[in-house]
Amino acid sequence: MKRIGDPVLAADRITLIFGGITALNQISLEIRDHEILAMIGPNGAGKTSMLNVINGFYHPQSGSITWKGESRRHMRPYQAAAQGIARTFQNVALFRGMTTLDNIMTGRLLRMRRNFLWQALYFGPAEKEELAHRAYVEQIIDFLEIQSIRKTPVGRLPYGLQKRVELGRALAMEPELLLLDEPMAGMNVEEKEDMCRFILDINDEFGTTIALIEHDMGVVMDISDRVIVLDYGRKIADGPPDEVRANPEVVAAYLGEPDQGEVRAPPAAQRHSVAM
Amino acid sequence: MDVLAAVFVTPFANMWGNPEFVVEVIIGGLLSGVMYSLVALGFVLIYKASGVFNFAQGTMVLFAALTFVGLIEHGLPIWAAFLIAIAVVILLAVAIERLVLRPLVNQEQIILFMATIGLAFFLEGFGQLVWGGDVHPLDIGIPKAPLIIGGVLVNEFDLVAAAVAGSLVAALALFFQHTAVGRALRAVADDHQAAQSVGIPLRSIWVIVWSVAGVVGLVAGIMWGSRLGVQFSISLVALKALPVLILGGFTSVPGAIVGGLIIGVGEKLAEVFWGPAFGGAIEDWFAYALALAFLLFRPHGLFGERIIERV
Amino acid sequence: MLYREVGQFKTSYAADQAIFPISQDRWLALAALAAAYLVIPAIGSEYWLLTIMVPFLVYALAALGLNLLTGYAGQVSLGTGGFMAVGAFATYKLTTAFPELNILFALLLAGIITALVGVLFGFPSLRIKGFYLAVATLAAQFFLIWMFNKFPWFYNYSASGVISAPPRAVFGRVFVTGAEADPRARYLFVLTVVVLLALAAKGLVRGRIGRAWMAIRDMDVAAEIIGIRPLRSKLLAFALSSFYCGIAGAMWAFIYTSAVEASAFEIDRSFQILFMIIIGGLGSILGSFLGAAFIVLLPILLDNAPRLAGFEMPVNLVSNLQSMVFGALIIFFLIVEPNGLARLWVIGKEKLRLWPFPH
Repeated sequence: MKRIGDPVLAADRITLIFGGITALNQISLEIRDHEILAMIGPNGAGKTSMLNVINGFYHPQSGSITWKGESRRHMRPYQAAAQGIARTFQNVALFRGMTTLDNIMTGRLLRMRRNFLWQALYFGPAEKEELAHRAYVEQIIDFLEIQSIRKTPVGRLPYGLQKRVELGRALAMEPELLLLDEPMAGMNVEEKEDMCRFILDINDEFGTTIALIEHDMGVVMDISDRVIVLDYGRKIADGPPDEVRANPEVVAAYLGEPDQGEVRAPPAAQRHSVAM
Repeated sequence: MDVLAAVFVTPFANMWGNPEFVVEVIIGGLLSGVMYSLVALGFVLIYKASGVFNFAQGTMVLFAALTFVGLIEHGLPIWAAFLIAIAVVILLAVAIERLVLRPLVNQEQIILFMATIGLAFFLEGFGQLVWGGDVHPLDIGIPKAPLIIGGVLVNEFDLVAAAVAGSLVAALALFFQHTAVGRALRAVADDHQAAQSVGIPLRSIWVIVWSVAGVVGLVAGIMWGSRLGVQFSISLVALKALPVLILGGFTSVPGAIVGGLIIGVGEKLAEVFWGPAFGGAIEDWFAYALALAFLLFRPHGLFGERIIERV
Repeated sequence: MLYREVGQFKTSYAADQAIFPISQDRWLALAALAAAYLVIPAIGSEYWLLTIMVPFLVYALAALGLNLLTGYAGQVSLGTGGFMAVGAFATYKLTTAFPELNILFALLLAGIITALVGVLFGFPSLRIKGFYLAVATLAAQFFLIWMFNKFPWFYNYSASGVISAPPRAVFGRVFVTGAEADPRARYLFVLTVVVLLALAAKGLVRGRIGRAWMAIRDMDVAAEIIGIRPLRSKLLAFALSSFYCGIAGAMWAFIYTSAVEASAFEIDRSFQILFMIIIGGLGSILGSFLGAAFIVLLPILLDNAPRLAGFEMPVNLVSNLQSMVFGALIIFFLIVEPNGLARLWVIGKEKLRLWPFPH
């Protein structure tokens, strides 16, 4: 039985405004240790913006983030990385010129210490460090079952595999908090099952806290411990999946009625696609 | 100590003591800035419409001017030489579209940029092959008499240049904003694929744009050539247009003008008042340093569009 | 069929990450080294050594430096000539101020000085990207050349303005610079320096620094999320690249032309070296060498071709043709193989897997 701990990350009244649009409106949430938290909501609700704020890409106009006890308005992305936050992106931010192996190896950069003189020499301490990290990365490659594409430049991989490689790169950072932005977008059923398995295993074996944005309600109901719903920059629900599923406001904003006797075109304001 | 005085004290003292001279220098700078703007205009056109940073713009200016001068030297009347030069420029645009742009259509900007560097080398060699490498003096009857306006010494030539540049800019601005072709050009500049998918014929647009840029280049080349003689150093002048673009932003026609004026004035002032302290020839690098300084505060130039990178 | 990797299994990660994992490549590399060290000095004429091999090596080193910055780290630079000039003049000042200083140390120090200058001009790279950065490096290029021309201190107040490189020897006896230097000594010296620096470069790009650079090149916004500090990485690229270019410039002045003049390092030189890495292959150590070879040999070919074909061509015709051929080749390469000769080499090897069999 999984032990969900205390909050490791807390966002306190985050407000983010882009040129007239309020992407996030006084949002407060927390992420608890070892849990899998899902963030759902219609497009444009602010889910990716929230991740970007946590990760340091966007700087909110007000509010603060508390991570590992330290409160701050914002930090630079590399600081977030150095403090144990890793993430993946909706549009796959891999380094296209490099192979799968090299991309995942970049995730180990924070832990490589040898200075450039040792690097130039290569043989000796730099090589030892390199091989040690290579061994770790190979474990990740085994875990994600991508051995066969190890040396393929990622630009040539199909979308689903790219997402898997990106997950691998995030894992290589040995993160305490893993932020996944639509990790299963564009995947078929089998691929989704694989991804779910990986996410659950990561949470289980390494105890990594995971926050993911996801549109597939089936996945959300299956794997998440808690669900947060955003709509137009506001948080409208926060609780276990079943509770959220039944919340009338959430249904109105995002989910739609579960059983419909007749097929009716939903009103324009609620035209959302729901994948079940 | 001397150096500090030379940089921070003497120039300003000199300027204070000779206000009319300062005005003359500024006007001289403005007018030479107009010439820079003309060259920069060609860049902006091409960048706006094909997304290509055309390093060969300077060489195109040179090539067009060489053609014009060469034809005149062979005895053709000016208007005939002008028309034929335009035709050559259009032919060049067609050839470039066919041989360079089309094969590289979906490549990254940096690749296209490097291709234009290759183009520059090619055109320079070709131009000099056909017309020879000597200086070709050019005189098409633009008046060059010095005038005194309001106590300041100005040259008629520079006024004509300013008038020409002004009319060109006005014509281009109208063209971009108010014609269908202009709108198509702006669409193409934004997104090639999207433009194609609404049926805009990319290739014709590119030929049009490069031709227009070529004509602008021809005019610029004629103006510069009348002043300096048509020679290789014109393409170096074009390198100078880069700082102009940096100041003005790569996609803005007014920016190219303002940028050119600022660089022209800045350069002249620096050369006249700060130059002597350092043995002269500050003009070699001042424009770039000025551009660099601007870039540090406004990485996209004064008028350029801020590109927001989304991840 | 000649190039089969069949039977070559790697049983350790170290073997997998070797510079030449495939044994045919290893043999080829060793053969090339052997030829370079043993065969060429023995049979090469003075002309070959001094006007082909030495400039090729010096250019290759400069191309290597630029490739680190532009090919791997993605920072476009048009200031290569300027940095080479810094190396040349720094070495000149060092060797004239400290006559007892060993040439190798002089080179090393000059490289470090150039690296510092490179870092200075690299600072804008955090805010400025792409072409804008290229223009900023033009500022460096024009300013540096102007500076070396303007201030007599750099050429020790010499009246004629033409300074020749003072003679220096390694191991106390073997002159590598100056009028007495034996061509073979010069060649071997340059060869050794270049080989060592190339190996160092390979070490750099194989490991974490190379990966960080390529990450910045490919998507510098995303590079931060894995903990890369972009400014540090970029500045390191500028520093190391300038180090290489500085040493290349020093060897150009001291060993190749035996004269230290700013005019050898003008904007044309920067373009020339940029062409080398475009044609040779961005982001490839081998590519730097291939590109340098190509651009060194092409003019010689063009010079001699008419003669071989039986007619004379006037000199300026040849130089114009060269410009045209260069330009056309750049465009050709970018269309056909943007990854340059290095990629063509790799493709060639892949074809050799089958050849002479059809499938």
